[in-house]
Parts: sequence; C-alpha cells; structure tokens
Amino acid sequence: MSIRNVSKTYASIDAVAPTSLEIESGDFFAIIGPSGSGKSTLLGMIAGYIDPSAGQIAVDGRDIVPVPIYRRNIGMVFQNYALFPHHTVFQNVAYPLKVRGLAKQEIATRVRESLAMERLEGVETRKPAELSGGQQQRVALARASIYQPSILLMDEPLGALDKNLRDEMQEEIKRFHHELGVTVIYVTHDQQEAAFLADRVAIMKDGKMVQIDTPRLLYEQPNSRFVAEFLGEASIFSVKSTVARSGQKHKVVLDDGTQVVVRSKLRSADGHFACIRPERIMIGARLKGLDNVYRATVRESLYTPGSIRYRVALDGTDCVLKVRVLPQGNVEFHEHGTSVQVGWSADDTIILKE
Amino acid sequence: MKMSEKMIWAAWERILRALVTVVLIGFLVPILVVVAVSFEPKTYLSFPPSGFSVQWYVQFIHNGDYTSALMNSILIGVAAASLATIAGICGALGVIRAAAPGSTLVGILSVAPAVLPQIVLAIGLYPISVWLGLQGTLLAVIFAHAVIGLPFPFITVCGALTAYSSRLEIASMSLGANYFQTFRHVTFPMIRPAVIAGFIFAFAASLDELVLAIFLSSPATRTLPLLLWEQLNFQITPELAAAATVILVVTSILIFAATVLPRLSKRG
Repeated sequence: MSIRNVSKTYASIDAVAPTSLEIESGDFFAIIGPSGSGKSTLLGMIAGYIDPSAGQIAVDGRDIVPVPIYRRNIGMVFQNYALFPHHTVFQNVAYPLKVRGLAKQEIATRVRESLAMERLEGVETRKPAELSGGQQQRVALARASIYQPSILLMDEPLGALDKNLRDEMQEEIKRFHHELGVTVIYVTHDQQEAAFLADRVAIMKDGKMVQIDTPRLLYEQPNSRFVAEFLGEASIFSVKSTVARSGQKHKVVLDDGTQVVVRSKLRSADGHFACIRPERIMIGARLKGLDNVYRATVRESLYTPGSIRYRVALDGTDCVLKVRVLPQGNVEFHEHGTSVQVGWSADDTIILKE
Repeated sequence: MKMSEKMIWAAWERILRALVTVVLIGFLVPILVVVAVSFEPKTYLSFPPSGFSVQWYVQFIHNGDYTSALMNSILIGVAAASLATIAGICGALGVIRAAAPGSTLVGILSVAPAVLPQIVLAIGLYPISVWLGLQGTLLAVIFAHAVIGLPFPFITVCGALTAYSSRLEIASMSLGANYFQTFRHVTFPMIRPAVIAGFIFAFAASLDELVLAIFLSSPATRTLPLLLWEQLNFQITPELAAAATVILVVTSILIFAATVLPRLSKRG
C-alpha cells in the first residue's frame, strides 16, 4: 500500500499535512502520536469515511480514493469496537458476509470457524452488552477479518481495556497478525503497545509524520527532541558549542557550561540537544571506565516494580538527570540526599538537531 | 425553634408536590366531566348526570355522519402520520448524521409546525390547495396534517440518532454494507422505538386537529373534531359528549401505546 501526498484540511487547518508512506504487504505498521496529531484522520482516509483533500492512496497499485467505503474491502476495528448492540455475537460476525449476499449455510460455517479461532464459542447468542471487554474486542476482530480483507485498520482497539487485559490482547493481536498474514495499520497513543506489536512505527505530530522507523531505531536514534521525549524517557539539554568533527569522541559544551563527551555521526551545533536515556546511566559510589563521570546528589529516589528511578543533580551545574536501574542482586538503593557518582559512555549521548 | 436548612428543603418539596397535584386535578376534572355527562339519560347536558344510560353511544354508532367522520379521521391520521414519519426520518438523518449545509434551517422548519399558530398554516395552505385543485379532498387534509405531525417523528428520531455514535454506521459500511443496507440493518433497528413513538404522536396530532380541517375539508371529508365543532354551533346534546369521549379514549390508548410499544420493541 502506498500513500502519496495525502492531506486533509479542515477550515484551512491542516489536520494531516501532505504525507507519503509505503507499507509492505503483511507488515504491522503502527502510527502513534498525541491526541489531535492527525493519526485517526489518516486512518479514516484509508478506511474511506474521511475524504482526503488531496493525494492518492494506492492499494496494489490502484488508487482507492474514488472507491466508496463499502467497496474497499478493508477491515476496521474501531475504538470502543462499534459492535451492533441489537445484533447477537453471531449476527455481528455474520454481518459482512450477509451484506455480501452469501448463502446462509456458508455464512454459518465461516462464522463458526471464526468464532472458534477467537475462542468465542458459547457466547454466539449473546448481545455485545452481555460480553466482557476482552470478548467484545475479539468479536470486533472476528467481524473485521471474516471477509478476509487484505488490510486491517485498528483505531486504539485496546484503549477501553484495563492494563492486564491489554497486555493479554496485545499477544492475541500479534498471534492474529501472524496467522492471517494481513497488513495491519494500527493507531495508538501508547508507545509501549506500538513497540510491542509493530514492525515499523510512524510518529505523528501536528499532522506530520516526524519519523518512521523500527521501534528500536526510533528509541536509539530519534531524529528530534519530540520523538525522544515521546518514546520513553530522556534527559535532554541544549548544546551551546559548535563542533565540526563527527564519528569520533569529542567534547560538547551544554548551556550551563557542563562538558559532555559524545560520539555522534551528527555534527553538533548551537541550538542542538544532547539526550541521554535513563537506563544508560550508571549510578554508584565509584565508577570506572566511563567517558562521562560526575559527582552528583540524589534529589528523588523511587522504587517501582521492576526498576529503581532516580533524579540526580550534577554537583556544580544546573543539570538534572533521570536515571533508571534494575533492582537486581546487590544493587544499592540510594536514598534522597546521598552523594553519588553518575556516568555514561560517549556512545550513549544522542545528539538531536531539533 | 430554628428551622434547619434541610427542613426548608423538605417543606419546599411538599409545596412542589401539592402544586403538581392541583395542576393535574385541574386538567383531569373537565375531562372526567365530559365522560360523566356522556352517560346522561336526558336529551340535554346536565351536571352532575341525572342517571346512567349508554343511549348516546348507541345513537353515535348509528349516526352515519359520525361514523363516516370517524373513518375519515382514522384514514387521514394514518396517511398523514406515515408521510410525517418518512419526512421526519429523512430530515433527522440529514440534520444529525449528514450535518448537511442548511441543516439548522431544516431543523427549525421541521419543528416550526409545533409552535406556529395553526391558523397561520391554514391561511397559507388554503390558497395552495385551491390552486392545486385539491380543495375539499382527503389529500388536502392529509398533506396539511402531515405538516402538523412532522415535528413529532423529527424530534424523536433526532433524539434516537444522537443517542448512539455514527461510528456504528461507519462500521457497517466499512464491513461492506452500502447506504441502503446500512439503513435497513443498522440505522432503522436503532431508531425503531423513536419511529413508532413519533408515528403515534403524529397520528394523535392529526386526530385532534380542527383548524386546518375547517379550512381544507368538504362535508364528504369531514373529520370527527370538525363534525363535533359543527354540531356545537346549533345544538349541544350528550351525543357530542359521547363522541368527545370516543376521541378521548382513542387518544389515551395511543399515548399509552406510544410509551409502552417503543420499550417492548427495544427489548425484542
């Protein structure tokens, strides 16, 4: 599927700025961004219930923009599922086949197969309101896939579920994608979910795709401050010095005069940013063999399930760093006010152009 | 003793309750009087009734004028309510779902007949029906009553459409159903209770209507309220009260149906 210069303008405001994008068949592609970033609008244009102001959406080389929504043969799972409340589970799943005029016998067989695959046998005569959130979710999946669409769109499908169920459904969706081999375009505001599910992730901001990459590259090589902060945590500082060298270790001066050793392919210049991920920072009484080592004071310490989080201030500077360590073995827990050393490698300082 | 704040509110609640009771009794008394005097055995109206007799009902049934007027009323009511309901559904879909340009105007116009003085409508419709050659025909009254009835299905269906998200219809279309299939399988079942209620109210509005009927009907297409009004002009007998009671009973059944039927169909 390829999106070519697709845009949507509402009352001269760009909900989606001209966007181009290629998605390979069978890919799991996630679009994330804060609310109002245009991700749902983009999905609506692919599904066909929002008309693009300009551009083409080609599936297998054919532009589908002029094709009405009900002829596009694209599956869609909606936020809050949009199950028909007056239909039973069976009728909901049978609906796409019924409107396609299939024989009753065939509909019954295929619906039963699909319900079995989603482990929904036994609830087929119930109405959606009588189902749990997870079951409703699975009915929505069954209904959107029973007519074997080649593309499946999902708009925050897990938004209404609580945390544990959401984790379980993520596994379910992943399994579903593997079994059907369908191309999935998945919209969410949850970066963890996107990273868990998707082969590639696009980050949207103000109607523009700011970066498209694998989850790992997005996290390790963000191209902007926005991406770095949106995906995971980061300590970010403005850079004052301009250094022409690149590819080798060199010193960079931050706004408050602090010097940091960096190895980045990007040229750093005034107005750029230095970004350090919290889990790349070591904390301890004495650190050795790191490019950057500073004396620091613990300002905040917090034990959370699976990690210890700190906020430490580098002594004699304005820099405050977020640090996260795994509470494994004999790791020491540093109380508030403790004097410690923090350090990290030159390779773990990311330079951001904007 | 100092009155606590809670006691003041409790007293206020009692006053409100008393007020509602008085108003309801005020409405009910004249209605009950009509029913009572319709069983009057004498040939003139008196209250309290001097006895009990159903002779005026017997006479009502055997009076060809009344029965044909009743049939006219029912025929006009069903036809007008059907037209009003179809128009009301279309209008509500346009205003709520399509948000088409001019939808505010459509909304105002659809509700207007409920608040506009009927005499204004009547004066406007009269020359039109003469011009179209429909004056005195059933069609003229049917169209006029459809206009009177329109606000009811329009309002109830608008309410039903706003009660659920248009996502359901979008989902239906994304699953391969075209506009007609979506209306048949999704929209209509969702709004059915509102359609039934709107139809009944539109029918009741037609059954009660007098002013437009005066302007637009002929002796052959007289409705029941019109006949009553004509009779009132030269003699007042308990037969009139009997006819009024028939209208009252039919309307009461309709109002009851309008509240009960939609709930039943929602469950089914």
